[in-house]
Amino acid sequence: MKKMVIGGIILIVALMAGTYFVAGDAFQSDDYINTLTMIGALAIIAITIFTVLKYVNQIKNDTASGELVDENWDGIGEYTNAIPSGWGIIFIGTIIWMFWYFFVGYPTNQFSQIGQYNEEVLENNAKFKSVWENPTDETLKAMGESVFLVQCAPCHGVDAEGINGKAQNLTHRMSKEQVLSVIQNGQQKLGYPMGAMPPMMAQGADAEAIATYIAGGMKGEAPVAFAACASCHGADGKGMNGMSPNIAEYDEKLVTKVLEHGKKGVIGTMPSFKGRLNPTQEKAVASFLTSIKAGE
Amino acid sequence: MFHWLEQKPFFFAVVLFLTVAFAGFVTIVPDFAKQSQPTVGTKPYTVLELAGRQVYIKDSCNACHSQLIRPFKSETDRYGMYSLSGEYAYDRPFLWGSKRAGPDLMRVGNYRTTDWHENHMMNPSDVVPGTVMPKYPHQFTNMADLATAYANANTQKELFGVPYDTDGMPKLGSWAEAEAQAKEDAKLIASDMKNQSVKDAVANGQVPEIVALIAYLNSLK
Repeated sequence: MKKMVIGGIILIVALMAGTYFVAGDAFQSDDYINTLTMIGALAIIAITIFTVLKYVNQIKNDTASGELVDENWDGIGEYTNAIPSGWGIIFIGTIIWMFWYFFVGYPTNQFSQIGQYNEEVLENNAKFKSVWENPTDETLKAMGESVFLVQCAPCHGVDAEGINGKAQNLTHRMSKEQVLSVIQNGQQKLGYPMGAMPPMMAQGADAEAIATYIAGGMKGEAPVAFAACASCHGADGKGMNGMSPNIAEYDEKLVTKVLEHGKKGVIGTMPSFKGRLNPTQEKAVASFLTSIKAGE
Repeated sequence: MFHWLEQKPFFFAVVLFLTVAFAGFVTIVPDFAKQSQPTVGTKPYTVLELAGRQVYIKDSCNACHSQLIRPFKSETDRYGMYSLSGEYAYDRPFLWGSKRAGPDLMRVGNYRTTDWHENHMMNPSDVVPGTVMPKYPHQFTNMADLATAYANANTQKELFGVPYDTDGMPKLGSWAEAEAQAKEDAKLIASDMKNQSVKDAVANGQVPEIVALIAYLNSLK
């Protein structure tokens, strides 16, 4: 008998140690669920072992006794024992718990899956806000990179180079082909204060010259025809402080506008990401994109 | 006390079954009937979209992609608004799926576009490095089955009362009308595509499977 008790204790300790050795890290977090599960598992093991011991003991030593009920089934009788007190307490306990469940815990129609979801979102947003209230440039860039890898990389590629022309190459502002396409078709979608850009602002050789100049990174002398562009985009192409798109480089305004409105260009269509990212995340993506341009 | 009942096992079983069945009926059916009404804004599929849906089923997309977004922050962040029962009102059969080897596609129309799908179906690893999705180049040469799609839509209209041809809902009409409309829709999709043989086929009045499939995927919102 003593051997079994000692064996049981050794088994419990061994299981505890094994679990801690394999998954000890999980108990370091502020989430209590792992600890709770562990305590539950221990309780099950302990109760099982000691109940088994009790009954093994009883089978060995006990003899049946007591008063039989009148009825019997093919000679098999039943004692008129009272139910074990533990069962009785649990039974009454479940009745009390039922009242708690109906009237206090989960009154009818008071629980909703969607309500729980809404609470989860609120809690998450509050946590996001408190942690990222004043992000530094470094954290913004890191956040931007991870958002980029999830949301943008499927089209623009993990290196942001557009997967061989399947999407915009985000390390470079515009290609010659794109500039020509915008000049020919205009751009109505982005919603800048300057409004829509009409099609056919320049033609033929003028358009060619402008496209070469912009695609080349706006270095050197601007072609004469660029005056048409400069009237809205500014002589430096930077969009006159957010009045119109920056055609010289990516900036925060451009990135957030494109995320909001989507874009249809010569490569294809980019969907709008409105509502999918919060303002901090949009800012982070912009900060990441401007940083990869700087490192070229 | 219940000796009389215990002596009649068959009668007891029948009464027990009726009691449980009644309880189940009154708890499940009213809520189910309410929840399965079409959500405001949910529309039946057009013929071209239905043809694409058949391609989706034929190529077993639903074996790896679910169409059911659960109400968890982690899911809604990635896939968009959680699904409502009423959004499946016109899905016959529904394509919830039970396994996500690939991402959920319930609202893929919101964040992927025609040109992306074109690149992706031709060779998934071109756009998603390390993907396990196989290539589907046969969709660019096989033609979609518009006739079956029309029969499907018409059956749903006649038999299940799906509101085609009503105010604000897709028009079905006769087979000739529906075929012409599907080919018009296909031209819109093809104008955003780059594959020349697909463009030629659509210009010749044919509808490759890829066009129908993209129409269907774009309609998932």
